[in-house]
Amino acid sequence: MSRRGPVCRRENKSFSGLTVCIVFLLSLLLAFSTPQGIADAQEKPSDEYGDVTEEVATSGEGPTIADPIEPWNRAMYHFNDKFYFWLLKPVGQGYKYVIPETFRIIFSNFYENIMMPVRFVNNLLQGKPDYAGRELVRFVINSTMGVAGFRDVAKDGFGITGRKADLGQTLGKYGIGSGFYIVWPVLGPSNPRDTVGLVGDHFLRPPTYLSSDWLDTETWAITAHEKVNYLSFHIGDYETLKEAAIDPYIAIRDAYVQYRKKLIEQNGESQESGQTSKGDKKE
Amino acid sequence: MKKWVTLATLLIFLMVPFLASGGVPLDTVKTNVNSVLDVMRDPKLKGDAGKKAKEQKVMAAAEKLFDFVELSKRTLGLNWNKFTPEQRKEFVELYKTILKDAYVDKITAYTDEKINFTKEVSLSETTIEVQSTIITKTTEVPVYYRVIKKDSEWKVFDVVIEGVSLINNYRTQFREILGNNPPATLLDTLRKKAGKK
Repeated sequence: MSRRGPVCRRENKSFSGLTVCIVFLLSLLLAFSTPQGIADAQEKPSDEYGDVTEEVATSGEGPTIADPIEPWNRAMYHFNDKFYFWLLKPVGQGYKYVIPETFRIIFSNFYENIMMPVRFVNNLLQGKPDYAGRELVRFVINSTMGVAGFRDVAKDGFGITGRKADLGQTLGKYGIGSGFYIVWPVLGPSNPRDTVGLVGDHFLRPPTYLSSDWLDTETWAITAHEKVNYLSFHIGDYETLKEAAIDPYIAIRDAYVQYRKKLIEQNGESQESGQTSKGDKKE
Repeated sequence: MKKWVTLATLLIFLMVPFLASGGVPLDTVKTNVNSVLDVMRDPKLKGDAGKKAKEQKVMAAAEKLFDFVELSKRTLGLNWNKFTPEQRKEFVELYKTILKDAYVDKITAYTDEKINFTKEVSLSETTIEVQSTIITKTTEVPVYYRVIKKDSEWKVFDVVIEGVSLINNYRTQFREILGNNPPATLLDTLRKKAGKK
């Protein structure tokens, strides 16, 4: 940990060093010019490695989930891990190599657009007709001006963003608990509530109605393509998570629980579903 | 030089009311995150030769951004108190190494993305959440930095990505180990993990 003094002395030669000094002096000045600052300075213990108080230790305590079928879940986690490294990742990498990014963004926009019914219905069920309306407007604009949803004109041109919503989240908002942790093969982390949600949302996804046959190859091909296209933007995410973890199974379980809880507690804004296309970024 | 000092002094007086009125935590985090990213983007530090220098510079910038001791304390929670002072110091260092190994590459991958710092939300009397959004090609990722005032500087003690708190995530993992084992076992596990790279 650097202290103020030495930093100033060491870097004094350059202008940036001077700026650093100014900032430090400034912060010093501020700290001691307010009563709060003085209090801070006094109550600061000399040993920063000292004990933690109960208050600090329990602040921001995260949610937990029961895991009665851990042996099954761990087995499924290992299956999914192999599934990713042996199949999904090579396919995703090949796809990413072959298909130019511009097209992958178009596909991403397209899939996002046709999944509108899921977000529309769930926003309504969650008592957010305003967001449901915005989803509808986005769908109309993007399907027409955005050429069948290839571009997110609603956001890029009109600044209209939607809101992600799914049935598991809706049920959570109704006060239904998550239950215990389940890892499904291929589908990954879930719980009874979100599994029910997944099945319900399945009936709101347009690809479901492409054919009356449940095992229709076209429907499955579209779902697979959607997943691979999504993955092509996220290769490396899972690796980082796994690499960073002491116990990847626990890390993923905890991340899933925290993520779902946040989605249920949030009310909008920061979980807007609008996309940012590349063209937008360059401007 | 004298001119600079005069200018700087003037600047201080001009800036005091502005800084005192709030926005300091956000600006601090923004400045420090950007200085980490600047090192990442530095074209002079590319390649294998620059890698070591880069890593050192990144860590120096990271030390300004994070309070690793506070981060460690809040990760372990009450378990921290079971560690001896020596064990605490070792834990902080090992934890830091593991985080560095895991995330330095990842941050490098994110350097082309745009980051918007949006707002501050007060969490408690001493802690504030600085909210930002990373705008990627297909989506927006909310990244929140939780900061605490230490020696009148705002330091990050937790990063919350898409609602997932870094320290909570590690706490759950460490708790699993500390449930049936002494602190020494956890340190052993971390030593192995940190030594791998």
